[in-house]
Amino acid sequence: MHIKGRAWTFGRNVNTDLIYPKMWFRPTYEPGEMASHLMVGIDEEFPKKMRRGDLIVGGQNFGCGSSREEAAAAMKEAGIGAVIAPSFGRLFTRNCINVGLPVVASPGIEEQVRAGDEIEIDLAQGYIRNLQSGYEARLPPMAPESLKLIEDGGIASYTRRVLAERRKAADAARGGIR
Amino acid sequence: MHAISKIIAAHADRKSVEVGEIVNVVPDYVMLNDRGAARAADLLRKMGGDKVFEPSQIVVVFDHHYPPIRQQDSVSQKKTREWIKEQGISKFHAGEGIGHVIFPEKGYAFPGALIFGTDSHTVTNSALGCVATGMGHSDIASYLALGYNWLRVPEVIRFDLHGEFCPGVYAKDIALRIAQLYGEDAAPYLGVEFAGPLVKTMQMSERLVLCNMVIDFGAKTGYIQPDEITARYVSERAPGRSWTAYNTDSDSDYGRIVDLDVSEIEPLVAIPHDLSNVQGASKLNDVRIDEAVFGTCTGGRIEDFRVAAAIMKGRKLAPHTRMMVNPGSREVYMQAMREGLIDTMMEAGAQVGITGCGPCSGCHQGMLAPAENSITNASRNFRGRFGSPDANIYVASSATVAASAIAGRIVSPADFLAH
Repeated sequence: MHIKGRAWTFGRNVNTDLIYPKMWFRPTYEPGEMASHLMVGIDEEFPKKMRRGDLIVGGQNFGCGSSREEAAAAMKEAGIGAVIAPSFGRLFTRNCINVGLPVVASPGIEEQVRAGDEIEIDLAQGYIRNLQSGYEARLPPMAPESLKLIEDGGIASYTRRVLAERRKAADAARGGIR
Repeated sequence: MHAISKIIAAHADRKSVEVGEIVNVVPDYVMLNDRGAARAADLLRKMGGDKVFEPSQIVVVFDHHYPPIRQQDSVSQKKTREWIKEQGISKFHAGEGIGHVIFPEKGYAFPGALIFGTDSHTVTNSALGCVATGMGHSDIASYLALGYNWLRVPEVIRFDLHGEFCPGVYAKDIALRIAQLYGEDAAPYLGVEFAGPLVKTMQMSERLVLCNMVIDFGAKTGYIQPDEITARYVSERAPGRSWTAYNTDSDSDYGRIVDLDVSEIEPLVAIPHDLSNVQGASKLNDVRIDEAVFGTCTGGRIEDFRVAAAIMKGRKLAPHTRMMVNPGSREVYMQAMREGLIDTMMEAGAQVGITGCGPCSGCHQGMLAPAENSITNASRNFRGRFGSPDANIYVASSATVAASAIAGRIVSPADFLAH
């Protein structure tokens, strides 16, 4: 998986209350609604300023706190290409994988990227490059199961596929009895 | 293998698992809160699933937005009530309390269990020697459709607690000390076990506070080895339930072992807006308190009410201070009434509200105005959590919150308890 985009930078311990404040929680969402509240706990103008394909670069423990999937889902919906940080909150990591958003751990990255830098990532080759500064680093390997879920478009696609297989098997079994 | 690995292996139908391995597991119980049930049901439909795979494993709890104050939540809760009927889900609790308080109370948590929930503080249950972890809504929707989900087997860090509590120091202060020493990411993706001689003497209420807070150090689950205190608790709460206590094989099953002498800990406070930003309560006497927020899945149990009432008895809140109290469950509320604790707190001037998450979910009464200061026995001091993003939230033990509400500024509870 090859990703290239312009970076927005954020600090350390950015919790999901800031990424997606709960005043914007709704039982169901209209298309584009979650994206319109992305990062507004830190910067109210962010949804207007960002462009599709941009990358989010955070500090240590990015996405800590609450389990709210909206934090990852809003990034995915807004077209964020990848979220990169030295380390992440566990639930946020899991939610990114499940919505099919590349979540890239890269030790020391917060020191190496300034807002607006052009960043290139290759998940299969396992590298990250800052095209402005020339910085390049190897990425710690991602679990193949997680990479596959991201590439497949997340847990919804996976679940649809397994359900379809089960239906097919059930139909075949019924067919057999007849 | 660590006991956590053994529990995961047992739920993956495997003899053993390796740390770091990803396996598919079938949980014993899955908690959906009001928001989680509405979102997961919606996502389940979008995934093409019309049926919940195993309705008997699902427990639906309305706690965040219940009773609803926005019409959109009333509508969504009506839909959820219809959905659970349609799906044959019979375990449903609305108005009975916060999921993480009622799960142990009602016997859904037990040693050796695997529990998922649509909320980060699901980890609370792990105090009973089980594996309990939060998940996102798509995650839970996938489980609802398929009957299993994936879990990475975590490495485990053990905190060995020893020494004696100083007056006015509680389990909450230990959690804040860990955040102070090791940061909000003390245990990213890890299992956190609490052990040592002090833990063996701690009652279940204190163990639940410790394990509730592990998510706020980044952990996947907590763990406390089941003992006689656990067995007694489970036999009262889930009589007749069969359960398994798994044992960790050796010290080599831990990624790290940390020694913590609690005798050195004073009453602590996490100051805005980061849980690792911790100072002694006695050094924060200049901080004026506008509102005390008392309750939540961290501090809404009967023991919290006993401690607070002992401090507040015969005293009044400072004239400029208000106090919002939300009991963690109906059972806690009724017990606190029977013991006269609600009387004591109301006589002091506290507002006692409904059972549920209270201001910590951002959906109940007690929101803060800009520049106001709040002290709470909840778990998080994140910016904007109780209303205005320009308000300040201080996190402390139930005793420190009660004492500070009386004083109208942050104080150590030690002086109040001495009299």
